[in-house]
Amino acid sequence: MKLGFIGLGDMGQAMARHLLRAGHDLAVWARREASAESLIADGAGWCGSPAALADRSEVVITMVTGSADVHDLVHRGDGLLAGFDPGNLHIDMSTIAPATARALAADYAARGIGWLDAPVSGGPTGALEASLAIMVGGDEATLTRAWPLFDILGARTVHVGAAGAGQVAKACNQMIMVAAIEAAAEALHLAAANGVDVAAVRRALMGGSAASRVLEVMGARMETRHFDKGVDARLHHKDFALCLAEAHALGAPLPVAAAVAQQLNALMACGGARKDTAALLTVLESMAPAAGRGCA
Amino acid sequence: MDLGFVGLGLMGRPMVLNLLKAGHSVRVWARREAALAPVVAAGAVACESLAAVAEGATVVFSCVADAPDVAQVADGVAEGAAAGLVFADMSTIAPAAARDIAARLAERGVRMLDAPVSGGEVGAIAGTLTIMVGGDADAFEIARPAFAAMGKSVNRVGESGAGQVAKACNQILTGVGVAAVAEALNFAQKSGVDPARVREALLGGFAYSRILENHGQRMLDRNFKPGFKAWMHQKDMRIVMEEAHQLGLALPAAAVTAQMFNALVGSGMGEDDSIAMLKLLEAMSGGAEA
Repeated sequence: MKLGFIGLGDMGQAMARHLLRAGHDLAVWARREASAESLIADGAGWCGSPAALADRSEVVITMVTGSADVHDLVHRGDGLLAGFDPGNLHIDMSTIAPATARALAADYAARGIGWLDAPVSGGPTGALEASLAIMVGGDEATLTRAWPLFDILGARTVHVGAAGAGQVAKACNQMIMVAAIEAAAEALHLAAANGVDVAAVRRALMGGSAASRVLEVMGARMETRHFDKGVDARLHHKDFALCLAEAHALGAPLPVAAAVAQQLNALMACGGARKDTAALLTVLESMAPAAGRGCA
Repeated sequence: MDLGFVGLGLMGRPMVLNLLKAGHSVRVWARREAALAPVVAAGAVACESLAAVAEGATVVFSCVADAPDVAQVADGVAEGAAAGLVFADMSTIAPAAARDIAARLAERGVRMLDAPVSGGEVGAIAGTLTIMVGGDADAFEIARPAFAAMGKSVNRVGESGAGQVAKACNQILTGVGVAAVAEALNFAQKSGVDPARVREALLGGFAYSRILENHGQRMLDRNFKPGFKAWMHQKDMRIVMEEAHQLGLALPAAAVTAQMFNALVGSGMGEDDSIAMLKLLEAMSGGAEA
């Protein structure tokens, strides 16, 4: 299939390479051409603008940062909308506001162009191992066309509902995951404040009902204090603003998510924007160091 | 003084009446003719456009809903403004939005003050509002006599945006305060103790606050008429929380309170006074009766 790909960050690079290796005719566009060099060396084509990319592609996949980025890629003068033909398809795998996804779907539908919002969970590791969880919003027939592509990129694809529904699922995913990271940080902080061996506590918990992927992966980073690899906390900070804006718009109370968002704010203030979110532990430590205290 | 005023809602109308009562001349504009009648009857001059409100005015006030409305009024006013006009916006908007609009107006020779208020409709009618002002000190001195006709406590807090920062602080305190009073009174009730007597006892001590006194009494009376509507407080808390997000600043207590306002609006109590927070807590704890 003739594919286009925009968004060659940590995750996008790996995803584009999987598509290329699966035998697809893939071209890319990037703000900085340098970021595309290694893919081009592997056989990807280069286009001078999003419109040119859309013009030569049947399907364009985007994997960028925020709502504003995706909106700009679609609607700028040399944007995707200007290049697509009716029947083409834009799959956006970024994490953006459900409302933005719905609006772009409608803009495309008016021109006979397809849209899927297909945000992912699994991080850079999941992208590298092609084991992402993909949550899709859009119509069934369009998804059927895209399904073989999703099979290349991820281990599990679920059709959640109409346009925007994929982003709603992603928002739910972020709320559960980051709240779990905060819970793991608080538990390990409590263990440390008691003077108990944090590694032993974590090992014990992993055998019981509090066992989780987060306690396994993020817990290990907290235990070894390796906060430099993983997902930038600034991205979760951004995602939480989306969740809480939805909560405001819908009049839906999210007390725990709101509390977690404040810890993320504090992490930004402590210089943690580009650390892994496991660094939420350091916010607790800055509020009250664990060393030298105990419940006795 | 020759003044202009835009935004003749619940707050704006009594504010204009107080300006007229103090002997100022006030030019007004409103989208709906009906909004003009009560202030024109009291001596205000109705204008055809925002630009016309600014003609000959020393200070033009606005009191509207949100930042886009303020920007639109500011644009219109700037068209009719003589150099040096002071534009005093008394709406509650984000500090960053206030600074942006002020910068745009400065390019057109208009000096903007952000001057949000606290005190509600009651304070607007009585002329006892608390007015928190950010912006140029000279511009503040020019507008001060007019502010004095609308408010009892008028303070310049700092440069442009500082008034809105003070208002955000005010909303954190009143939002969290209303939630605290509602929780305390519900706690007393559910513990089988008369919340009226608890309130009475606390008023003499360290937990005394204006909110415990006024809002607490209205909770006991189950008088949920606004006052200050829950959806407006929800909007103000959104401004606060978005500002905290931008700054990377933790506001844990305000964050929880903002979620309770979400629940109030989501359960259809947005038009009630903020003290409907009590009904929300009762619903979370099995109903109004102990």
